[in-house]
Amino acid sequence: MIYVENLRKEFKKTIKEPGLKGSVKSFFKPKNEIITAVDDISFHVPRGEILGFIGPNGAGKSTVIKMLTGILTPTSGRCEINGQIPYKNRKNYVKEIGVVFGQRTQLWWDLALRETYTVLKEIYEVGDDDFKKRMAFLNEVLELEDFITSPVRTLSLGQRMRADIAASLLHSPKVLFLDEPTIGLDVVVKDNIRNAIHAINENEKTTVILTTHDLQDVENLCDRIVMIDKGKKLFDGGISVLKEKYGQSREMKFVPVDPKAASKLSYNAEFGLSEDELSLENDGHEVKVRFNSGLISAERLLNYTLSTLHVKDINLSDADIEEIIKGIYRSEVKLDA
Amino acid sequence: MKRLSKIHRMFKLHRIFIKQDLKRLMEYKIDFLTGALGMLVSQAVELVFLSVIFAQIPSLEGWTFTQILFIYGFALLPKAIDHLFTDNLWMIGYTIIRKGEFDKYLTRPVSSLFAVTVEKFQIDAFGELFVGFVLLGISIPGVSLEISALNILLFIVALFFSTFIYTGVKLITASVAFWTKRSGQIIYMFYMINEFSKYPTTIYNKAVRFIVTYIVPFAFTAFFPASYFIVGGNPWYNIGGTVVMAVLLMSIGIFLWNRGVKAYESAGS
Repeated sequence: MIYVENLRKEFKKTIKEPGLKGSVKSFFKPKNEIITAVDDISFHVPRGEILGFIGPNGAGKSTVIKMLTGILTPTSGRCEINGQIPYKNRKNYVKEIGVVFGQRTQLWWDLALRETYTVLKEIYEVGDDDFKKRMAFLNEVLELEDFITSPVRTLSLGQRMRADIAASLLHSPKVLFLDEPTIGLDVVVKDNIRNAIHAINENEKTTVILTTHDLQDVENLCDRIVMIDKGKKLFDGGISVLKEKYGQSREMKFVPVDPKAASKLSYNAEFGLSEDELSLENDGHEVKVRFNSGLISAERLLNYTLSTLHVKDINLSDADIEEIIKGIYRSEVKLDA
Repeated sequence: MKRLSKIHRMFKLHRIFIKQDLKRLMEYKIDFLTGALGMLVSQAVELVFLSVIFAQIPSLEGWTFTQILFIYGFALLPKAIDHLFTDNLWMIGYTIIRKGEFDKYLTRPVSSLFAVTVEKFQIDAFGELFVGFVLLGISIPGVSLEISALNILLFIVALFFSTFIYTGVKLITASVAFWTKRSGQIIYMFYMINEFSKYPTTIYNKAVRFIVTYIVPFAFTAFFPASYFIVGGNPWYNIGGTVVMAVLLMSIGIFLWNRGVKAYESAGS
């Protein structure tokens, strides 16, 4: 479906000294520098997958999306989507994709929302019957009815985003690109939008590529994530793999029936793990065990605990993805990629 | 056949976009009415101004007042038509590229140049069109113009290609923005040379004449074709020249535009 190989994008940037003086100097004697925004990125997305593209600000996420949508021409490398090369056969290619840039809108700002859809219908050559069916479907998923007659300029950000997503889906694209679709939205609207993306993905096997800073998006939506920073790929895989590999903070909490019995537990000796790999905290009432689920299974840990002492309450929580990613961004977690 | 249906589709889209833009204009009633009124006033002022000037000058370098009026009127027509349909090219030079708004046009399954130009229908141009026709109407009885089928055909050909000389100049200079991010002043500088085209080029010195004939060939949008109709001349040069210049400028413009799209860098988001 989507093949990206050694994709690279360089920009030329003029370096200026600060102030007006710097600007004047640069005007007569410009100094250029090559910035590599995307550095040798490769990945592959099968049909029907939802892929999350994450990375800190300025990591190169948008640049990748812009190359995949035919807006930017790569400096080198190649990408192929549905057997087409975006920047080579752009006009034909974009018929099969939908694009939403969360920070921009493609709606007609001054006109009632439905006017945008009637024009897009013509641009994408959607037939009358298909258009009716499609609008009914989009209406159902994105709840456009309340504001479809309002001028776009009067829509709230949440409404506008829903309207923009509907606009990108009018021609039933095979691939949907969403650049920060939940940026600046409240919790309820975010949830609406996630459900809509899910519904579209399930109903039509639409492949979705989205970039986001909201890790809830990633957890609730994505089958897989690609993480990039400074233009380079840091991680590519399922969320469970990410958690397994880098989730050092999986946690087991329990309250022993007899608080003193907790001293009988010696996980590190039992499983041969260092303090880094498994740590224990006992406040005299509740016991917390943080462990690396890649090294020791929760089942073995539970079995050992329950066979050693009686517990009143036990709770096993997942690694917190936010913590993991923060760690990777700060390179605290060693990546063996 | 396929080509024909493609052209048909472009016209259809064009119609839809024009309607869309008219709806947009009418969304803001006061602004729309003020604009329409302003346009009428400014064109009326221009007509008065012209009649005052020409009342003082009975003839210029052998050209009579009515002949000059004819050339002047002719000059306004292609300018107005270009103004009507491709005004958004100015915005390419000023904001669209610089702010990364060009992204939008690249995600649509139509040529990016078509997508940009079709979006704006500059109704101000109707004022120029109106004045142009009024001037032609006034001057035609006073010039020796033979109204024949051939001349009408040549008139339409000249008008059509003159329009593309305007569009070509704007297209070339606007395309520069793909590399420099902003080229509004460049468009302005070259576009303004059209002011010379309203008068017979024989009144200028050699350098100016050379520039408006061969470098930025606005002379072919008015003086050369218009003078053919009123004083005669070689149609292959006067009107053929217009065709050649239009084709040349549009070819360079489209070439630069396409190269520019490849060099387009968008803006951070």
